Amino acid sequence: MRVIVAGVGYRNLRDHSIGAAVVDRLVDHPWPGEVVVEDLSYNPIAVMQRLDDEPRDRRFARAVVIAAVERGDRRPGTVTAYRWDGVLPGAEEIHRAVTEAVTGVIALDNTLVVTRHFGALPDDVVVIEVEPEVQEFGDTFSAVVASAVDQVCDLAVVMATDAGAVARLRRAPLGGGCPTSRP
Amino acid sequence: MCFKNLPIDFDAQGKPFLRAGVANPYAPSAAGPRGAPAQLTAERIEELLKRNGYIKDLDFDPVTRVAGALAFHTVADFQARKVLEARSVATLFRGYEVIMVGRDPRDAIYITSRACGVCGGVHSVTSAMAIEMAIGCVPPPLGILIRNIALALEFLYDHPLHLHLLAGPDYSAAMVGPTNPSLLARARSAEAPHAEVHGFRTMGELMDDLNPLSGKLYLEALHMTRVAREAYVLICGKYPHPQTIVPGGMSSTVTLTVMNEMFLRLAQFFDYSKKLAAIWDDLTEFFYAANPAYMQVGARRANLIDTGIFDHPEAYDATYAGAAAWGERRWATPGVIVEGQLVTTDLHALNIGVEEFVEHSYYEEWSGDGQRQHFPTDPVGNPLSPYHPWNKVTKPRPQGQSWKEKYTWDTAPRWDRQSMEAGAYARLWNTAVARKLPANPFIEATGTSLKLRLPKGALPEVEIEWRVPAVWNAFERNRARAYCTGFTTLVAFNNWRAAMDRLKLGDTRTSTPFEIPRRGEQRGVGFWGAGRGYLTHHLTLDRGAVANYQILTPSTWNASPTDRWRQPGPYEEAVLNTPLLEETDDPARFKGIDILRAIRSFDPCMPCTTHIHSDAGVITREVNTCACGVDDESG
Repeated sequence: MRVIVAGVGYRNLRDHSIGAAVVDRLVDHPWPGEVVVEDLSYNPIAVMQRLDDEPRDRRFARAVVIAAVERGDRRPGTVTAYRWDGVLPGAEEIHRAVTEAVTGVIALDNTLVVTRHFGALPDDVVVIEVEPEVQEFGDTFSAVVASAVDQVCDLAVVMATDAGAVARLRRAPLGGGCPTSRP
Repeated sequence: MCFKNLPIDFDAQGKPFLRAGVANPYAPSAAGPRGAPAQLTAERIEELLKRNGYIKDLDFDPVTRVAGALAFHTVADFQARKVLEARSVATLFRGYEVIMVGRDPRDAIYITSRACGVCGGVHSVTSAMAIEMAIGCVPPPLGILIRNIALALEFLYDHPLHLHLLAGPDYSAAMVGPTNPSLLARARSAEAPHAEVHGFRTMGELMDDLNPLSGKLYLEALHMTRVAREAYVLICGKYPHPQTIVPGGMSSTVTLTVMNEMFLRLAQFFDYSKKLAAIWDDLTEFFYAANPAYMQVGARRANLIDTGIFDHPEAYDATYAGAAAWGERRWATPGVIVEGQLVTTDLHALNIGVEEFVEHSYYEEWSGDGQRQHFPTDPVGNPLSPYHPWNKVTKPRPQGQSWKEKYTWDTAPRWDRQSMEAGAYARLWNTAVARKLPANPFIEATGTSLKLRLPKGALPEVEIEWRVPAVWNAFERNRARAYCTGFTTLVAFNNWRAAMDRLKLGDTRTSTPFEIPRRGEQRGVGFWGAGRGYLTHHLTLDRGAVANYQILTPSTWNASPTDRWRQPGPYEEAVLNTPLLEETDDPARFKGIDILRAIRSFDPCMPCTTHIHSDAGVITREVNTCACGVDDESG
């Protein structure tokens, strides 16, 4: 089963860089089987096209997506993991997501909505979110997010390789799910 | 003589000078532009709102389906079906000018690219050109040709995006049905004149396929943006922020393989350009025939400005002194059009006529109160205003919103004190009228039109012709943008052929080595363009570091607020002239489609930023984007 572990976010944007940072860390992990690790921090339409380019018989069966997302109802540094229920918003919202995608917005929700709408995303999607504390230029994490990086990497490895662990995650809408930890 | 409002005359040799006897020629109290429209005063609007129940505020916040953060305030008379007040609001600050100060100028190529999430490459090139001028570095011919191709490809991403993803849905069945049902009913039985080109038998079918998400034209545009992007990254490394643009050319390695890969993608735009022109011809003529009042949607004075773009390798010398000459040898001729008449193609005249005002913007004045004007003249001695970008200092001052005082983060650039609009259409118009195009087999400027000979693809070879329009409005902006796809494709093809000729001769050099001077003060300006038109970066270096950096984008011009003379900015003026043709008398059900068509026809791009700098420190703002998109509240 092919799995893609993907980061979404911005480099040099402190806590919002965690997706790319985790990918950088995991790219050299001794992965079993067919696990691909990639930074998908670009135009979600292009991400959709990249996923769609996979041969029909070799499409990814699962995506593990890591990003910092400011939901506002969690303490900074909180790690949330869930299986996305795949429920899409209404057509207007999807159209908005496409508009944002083609005009340069890179964000987890947009990426998932756009790639799912166009049928490029695997059915099985595990989302690992981190609540950021700071949004500013820089290549270092805040203390609370820095302390979560190891946990996020471990979690990503488990979710990419352990079907049982994935099955135990609850399905939730975007941003949903129970906090896995509160540092 | 091209200036009617600034006190600038020209001597017998055509050199501009400040008119004698004018004590303070650029004073704030100086007369405003003659014949320009004026907004009603805020007091008058308040009075009308109080007295008449059918006059109401109508706000669009955010304006959706645009790149970036734009809000729009109007006061509309629902009885007379017209707009009485229009205010364009850029809701986020673009801090790149502030960020650049003190940096190595080479950083500008990469940092200013981030001003936009669609057209980063145009900022990179404009920045590189400003540096080239400041330090005296001329790219080799192949570097110029490849740069032209790269940016043409970027525009081929941009044009379909505007036409069928952002503006196009305004003309779709999904939008026209709810707002103008009788129009959609008419479209169902109206034969499409260019069915043999675009494949839609009726206008109704065409409108169905403009529908967002499901329409074939919408989906095809998404695909074509990929085609352009793939060609672009072959020479730019990545999109939207290129890695190969440097002062003195391009750092790409260009081979025949790269050129062939590029051509395979470029050639797909031969047919697509034919189709786009046919679609937008049919849409425009259908709306005009259904109701001639549509000619007033988004109408304004034909005041257009464009720096020109796509340099001739034998002409471009990277000097300011030579700009008047090399500018006129560009594939798109620089120029200023006032009231529909081309008044200059001289980049010097274009440059010295530019001023930027902040009366209604969240910035402090940088001029006046005895402050010294840093540059009284341009590098060849022509007079400069204290409000010129080379003299401007960006001094942001966040504060509360007031239509009487300050209400936007955009400034009010003016040329000869007139409100000008920028766009790909200005590129076509100048080039068509000026007739200064390089000799070539595909594009012909007739003085009133541009003839575009698009080579055979699946469709036969076709000559399409963009004519200077008799009226200037939302429909003509979109139609011109469609034709500009063909123009851009042919410019790219011409430059591709020239580049192939050089490669065949063994010329593979794409860049010239350079050094940043560490002493003295230097100035430069990049005159280039975005998919949406006019783009300049004015740069001052001091001992090797950026001392001042000023960016004027097309949307800085188009989204500009009302100025010190109450002259509205282009969006504002276009909306003030827009009749409300929606088929409802109920303000609660009103979607404002005609107003939105007017605004979106300009292809707003409101480059935003991550930080607001104020004296109080740094206020963080939206950070997950460099061109924030917005939602469609209006459906």
